[in-house]
Amino acid sequence: MTQTAGPVVSVSRVSKRYGATRALRDVTLELRPGEVLGLIGTNGAGKSTLINVLSGVTRPTSGEIRLRGRTVELSGPLEAQDAGVQTVHQNIDDGVVFGTTVAENLTLDSLARRGAGWFTTRARTREAAREIAEAARLSVPLDAPVEALPASARQQIVIARALSRNPRLLILDEPTSTLSATESAVLLTAVRRMAASGVAVLFVSHRLSEIQDLCDRVAVLRDGTIQRVFTTPVDGPSLVTAMLGDEIEATRHEARPVGEPILLGEGMRTRPGAEPFDLRVSPGEVLGVTGLIGSGKTELLEQIYGARPLVSGALTLGDRPYRPRDPHAAIGAGVAFVAEERAAQATLPGWSVRAHVTLPRLRAHSRTGLLSRRAETGSARRVIERFGVRGPGPEAGIEALSGGNQQKVVVGRWMEGAFRLMLLDEPFRGVDVGARADISRVLREISTTTGVVVASSDPQEVLQVADRVLVLYEGTVTGELRAGEVTAERLAALMAGEGR
Amino acid sequence: MTTTVKPQVGEQVPLLDRAASIGYRYGLLAVLAVMVVVFSLARPAFGTFGNALIVLQSVAIVAVVALGVTVSMAAGGFDLSAGANVGFVVMVTASAMVRFNLTGPTAIAAGLLAGLLVAGVNVLLIVVAKVPDLVATLGTMFLFQGLALIITSGQSVSAGMTTDGVTAPGKYTSGFVWLGAGTVASVPVPVIVMALLAAAAYVFLGHTRWGRALYAIGGNPRASRLAGIRVGRYRALAYAVSGLCAAVGGILLSARLGRGDVGAGDPYLLQSVAAALIGFAVLGANKPNALGTVVGAVFVGVMISGLTMLNAPYYTQTFVQGALLVGSLVMSYTLTPGRRR
Repeated sequence: MTQTAGPVVSVSRVSKRYGATRALRDVTLELRPGEVLGLIGTNGAGKSTLINVLSGVTRPTSGEIRLRGRTVELSGPLEAQDAGVQTVHQNIDDGVVFGTTVAENLTLDSLARRGAGWFTTRARTREAAREIAEAARLSVPLDAPVEALPASARQQIVIARALSRNPRLLILDEPTSTLSATESAVLLTAVRRMAASGVAVLFVSHRLSEIQDLCDRVAVLRDGTIQRVFTTPVDGPSLVTAMLGDEIEATRHEARPVGEPILLGEGMRTRPGAEPFDLRVSPGEVLGVTGLIGSGKTELLEQIYGARPLVSGALTLGDRPYRPRDPHAAIGAGVAFVAEERAAQATLPGWSVRAHVTLPRLRAHSRTGLLSRRAETGSARRVIERFGVRGPGPEAGIEALSGGNQQKVVVGRWMEGAFRLMLLDEPFRGVDVGARADISRVLREISTTTGVVVASSDPQEVLQVADRVLVLYEGTVTGELRAGEVTAERLAALMAGEGR
Repeated sequence: MTTTVKPQVGEQVPLLDRAASIGYRYGLLAVLAVMVVVFSLARPAFGTFGNALIVLQSVAIVAVVALGVTVSMAAGGFDLSAGANVGFVVMVTASAMVRFNLTGPTAIAAGLLAGLLVAGVNVLLIVVAKVPDLVATLGTMFLFQGLALIITSGQSVSAGMTTDGVTAPGKYTSGFVWLGAGTVASVPVPVIVMALLAAAAYVFLGHTRWGRALYAIGGNPRASRLAGIRVGRYRALAYAVSGLCAAVGGILLSARLGRGDVGAGDPYLLQSVAAALIGFAVLGANKPNALGTVVGAVFVGVMISGLTMLNAPYYTQTFVQGALLVGSLVMSYTLTPGRRR
């Protein structure tokens, strides 16, 4: 869809520093009218920073941004909007006002406009909303309350409102991450229509298939730099390689005898509609699970832990059927879980290291209900020692520890019990190299007698500990590799859903 | 993402911060001590053992109810039905003895069951129907204020009353009245009950695994669930404890009044919530805690009793309590060291 018109946006040599970290380095990018540019990259690659720079939320440290040929210095989101840049953020519910109708949401902007008058009438609101809805071909009843609508419809409202401001550039930040396959298809059609009307679209996503489907070009960010810009047709594996780098190395861990399976899963699915697969976890080998963000790793682990209902199939733990009702039941059966988001799912603000260590096993630290401070401190000290937790000691608040040391605590607290199976979701995220090595070492140690499953969207992290790697692509298992035989090409192909 | 390194223990903390931290920890207790001294100097009758018991007796029921509210707050909940529960239990116990001529122990059992009934409705709404705590207990509050009126046909219950032309056969038993007016070694029974319950709540919240689990739920319910805590059950437990404490408060109040007054429980909601919230600021706990709650109740009692002795009119009491509450809220939400946002 190349047109002769000049670029809507051109970003040249833009860099952004946060202290010592360089979030963006010399990024140069152009978007033409009617073009859909895909933007893809791993966590921390710099996508958010680039979006923030374009939408006026943050100012670049150096470099130049030109909108329709004119150099601009965006000093705030409102200024970016005035210049024709509209951003629809990932969290849809930040963009709608609950407790009001669709019409009221579509016309929110007019509330803040000067000279809008003091009174709004239902008729005037409806009329304005109808125009906006028509322009965006929105097929949602205007009188419906927003909270009664599905996520996809709410998103359409947010996008329709963005379009009503006649943007030149529309930034969609992971718009499909919370949508189902059919809802995504509807959105993609809408995006194509917008592009056809001349709007430039920056489409950020982790889903390769839709990026390949939709985008005219795809820019890959890694470590703050544009690695490569692909033009259609985009080759999936090359895209993955550009995202993750090709220095992925096969890591051969020492061979150990593999014991009887601890966990067997038959006919499991990551989500309804995905293809079923079997799962085997045995002591003596760490099972790695990798795949791009949103490929179903968390769903898989949480099913085994009882944190979400089993989609399909049957599990066997040891030699007994296993179907945990909730995490409590899973822990009772000897299954441990380290959640992906430490702050939201594991730590308690203001609590000490000791209290974090003993929380999953309070009963073991108490007699007739009374907690034993000595038993608690003993456990905390053992975790601190075994993992080399650096910090002021067991009574220190968890916030006094660095991210890596906090992670050691929430991983290490499970080691005190008699666990048979340990599930870890992104255990190395936001964890420094030293802490990563400490955690890996202990995981390798315990895996001689217990089952260990480590999931990460960074295959290099998985290879650091795993003997066998399961690769997921959009909810489906695309392959299984032995860590010693992994090649970057093979991995990239499987992560891109090819080469099955 | 980058991680921020917080100052570690042993690092130099600026003097001003340390002073603020000490002030925060002991501020409320210091003010309490100063208040007692000042009132005693101004009115020698204030600083006597006898008056101390009177003050304690005046706050005992509030403190008992507040201990329950504290437990629900620890689990991140909020029991707005506590006051209505007290009123409902007063009516149930009064009716049991006066209209149905039952014995004192039976009336106590009925009162406790009534409190559990209120808790049961709360649990049904909050845990099963997933209604937010605040509005669920608000609904329960209305429900049981109304039910208390219905079971007594809207009148106060006292010995010799007539309903539909029938004179009530019973009266408050002497054993039951003893709960409100009796003493053991010159200490009023409600004060003893308060002390026992306070000790129990202190141990329960601070030193048992159940208390720890409740605080965990209050701090981060998602993390608690993933750590294997059955959040629903513990929230049910918290409301059951809260309901039982309110019931005990209701029984003591009923015994003290010697009759079932319509609306007798109404003031107890605000007073007990205030005591629990003032308790956040005691010893820098910054969370609901049993000791703080009792200190909070005593604080209010001392202030009001002192001001009364200084001839402040009774109608200033509500305002004084409100000012105390606001002051301690600012203390725990704004002035807490390390809580700058």
